[in-house]
Amino acid sequence: MSEPNASATRTLTIGAAIREALAEEMRRDERVFIMGEDVAQFGGVFGATKGLFEEFGPKRIFDTPISEMFIVGGGVGAALTGMRPVVELQFADFLFNAADEIVSKMGKWRYMHGGRLTVPMVVRMPAGAMGGVGPEHSQCPEAMLLQAPGVYIVIPSTPRDAKGLLKSSIRDDNPVCFFEHKGMYQVSGDVPSGEFTIPLGVADVKRAGSDVSVICWGRMVHVVLKAAAEAAKQGIDTEVVDLRCLRPLDKDAILATVRKTGRLVICHEAHRTGGAGAEIAALVAEEALDALAAPIRRVCGPDAPIPQSQHLERLWLPGTKDVLTALQEIVK
Amino acid sequence: MPLTPETKLRIYRHMYAAERWEAMLLRLIEEGVVSGIYHAGRGHEGSEVGAVTALRKDDYLFYDHRGCGHLIAKGADMVALYGDFLGNELGSTRGLGAGIVHVCDPEHGIMGQSGTLGRGQLLATGAALSAKLRGTDQVSMHFFGDGSSNLGTFHESANVAGAWKLPVIFVVQNNGWAVSVPVEYSTAGGGFARRADAYAMPGVVVDGTDAFAVHEAAVAAVERARRGEGPTLIEAKLARMRGHFEGDPDNYRAKQAQGDNDPLVKTRRRLLEEGVVDETYLGKLELAVREQVQAAVDTARQGKMPERKRIFEGLYV
Repeated sequence: MSEPNASATRTLTIGAAIREALAEEMRRDERVFIMGEDVAQFGGVFGATKGLFEEFGPKRIFDTPISEMFIVGGGVGAALTGMRPVVELQFADFLFNAADEIVSKMGKWRYMHGGRLTVPMVVRMPAGAMGGVGPEHSQCPEAMLLQAPGVYIVIPSTPRDAKGLLKSSIRDDNPVCFFEHKGMYQVSGDVPSGEFTIPLGVADVKRAGSDVSVICWGRMVHVVLKAAAEAAKQGIDTEVVDLRCLRPLDKDAILATVRKTGRLVICHEAHRTGGAGAEIAALVAEEALDALAAPIRRVCGPDAPIPQSQHLERLWLPGTKDVLTALQEIVK
Repeated sequence: MPLTPETKLRIYRHMYAAERWEAMLLRLIEEGVVSGIYHAGRGHEGSEVGAVTALRKDDYLFYDHRGCGHLIAKGADMVALYGDFLGNELGSTRGLGAGIVHVCDPEHGIMGQSGTLGRGQLLATGAALSAKLRGTDQVSMHFFGDGSSNLGTFHESANVAGAWKLPVIFVVQNNGWAVSVPVEYSTAGGGFARRADAYAMPGVVVDGTDAFAVHEAAVAAVERARRGEGPTLIEAKLARMRGHFEGDPDNYRAKQAQGDNDPLVKTRRRLLEEGVVDETYLGKLELAVREQVQAAVDTARQGKMPERKRIFEGLYV
């Protein structure tokens, strides 16, 4: 694994970065193939696989029937027997349609069978609230997988991270659920021009600060960075730590930022109760309670379904104001 | 093509080994050193051995929880098998055992078992997809019961297998009972083989107590799969001769006359009637198997129980 050389970069969207990562890994390793609903000629309902069919053809990228259990379970069978599948669940919410295949087959098959087999596969999962697709197609269900030992959980927030983390996920011999926020495919950013990967399980400090830490991931990283810029005008120096992965979890980075600032806000789009923030808060309580100058705060999606109405969806989402309020209150 | 005497003997030897192996396991269960969750395979030896003996070493087996005939026929080591049930370090999973075990032996194509029912259908289909993508002529065989045929996983797997002509063989061991629920009550359509038609694959009904008939059906299915013509569903009708698991009161069904349903008795009789071998030959073969089983269990019982650290091994690469 290698961190990118910062020198030569170009601007890409997250969607384009994902396409590049897929194409490069498919060129590099002929065992890598893609299957999922509408991923081939159509290019994916969010366009993430556009153009790959033209380059790689129907043996490397193909559509499946609407059969989520097969998409994951069939991927596991292929991974066990020498392939490296990258399968797409059209919406991350379909984790529940293929829950046993993800939790108990993909995550446990190697373990149950004595570590004698490997399941090198990636499940790409477009997640998050965007465009009024409603309660069943808008969730960020990553915390469900905290109870699924064996499954890595990767959640990029920038084009650079999306590309580097996806390439690492494809090369890793452990199974990975890779969450892509549906509202971020068009987000642009600098991506190194040359070959690079980003190791799994290493958090990234997206903004250094000394007064308060915000631990976040996915789209909320951008919301938090905006709030941090606002807070800076008011003299609050915020450190923003993008976890990038929930498993492997960069525990050292969590404890380091908490020990540095003594104040912690955790921010995620997923529902507050039982979200991954609870686990991080518990970890900090167990191992760094002495470092805290104030109670931990959470800024999360509310404990209600995400409404279909776009008007209500906007009101549902945690925003910059919510984060800013938490920052102002925690430093008081 | 009629079965050669060698094939018939090979089948009988594996069946007898499976039965003797299990009889010894039942003694270990009675002794209290193996969990009674075991799902005995008595009555299923004909279909499991008959079908698996049609495979090559590099073909894939996704077996079910019913007995160990398929595993023994695919080449699983008997010491490792006992070790798995005893939950000790000589098991194929080095002590994860026991009860409904997850035996694994990639060198023999033994790819594992799904504890949750139906899911093996998906994985076996995925392995067949992999063989097709890699351009090998390997086939993937999966065993499941009449009960597991009613999961949605079957539809998703059979549909893809049929649509993409994947080299997978679904062996439905229809013993008429999903734990305590009879197939007549639970299942529409008058038989599982008929369903195959809806998925563009042959559906073959065989007498699952006739190991040679199962073998012939499996050979045809394997050849078809290797030719790239796609999947086959084999419905093997047979009787479960013991409870669903050891400890099952089994009081929900009438006691059956077992002799007629016993594939082992039937196969042995045929070997003699057809003059394949004589009683003396069989006596020697059976003695050799019993000695093999005894030696295996004696060795396996020497295995050490794993330490707590075993819990954390093998989860990640």
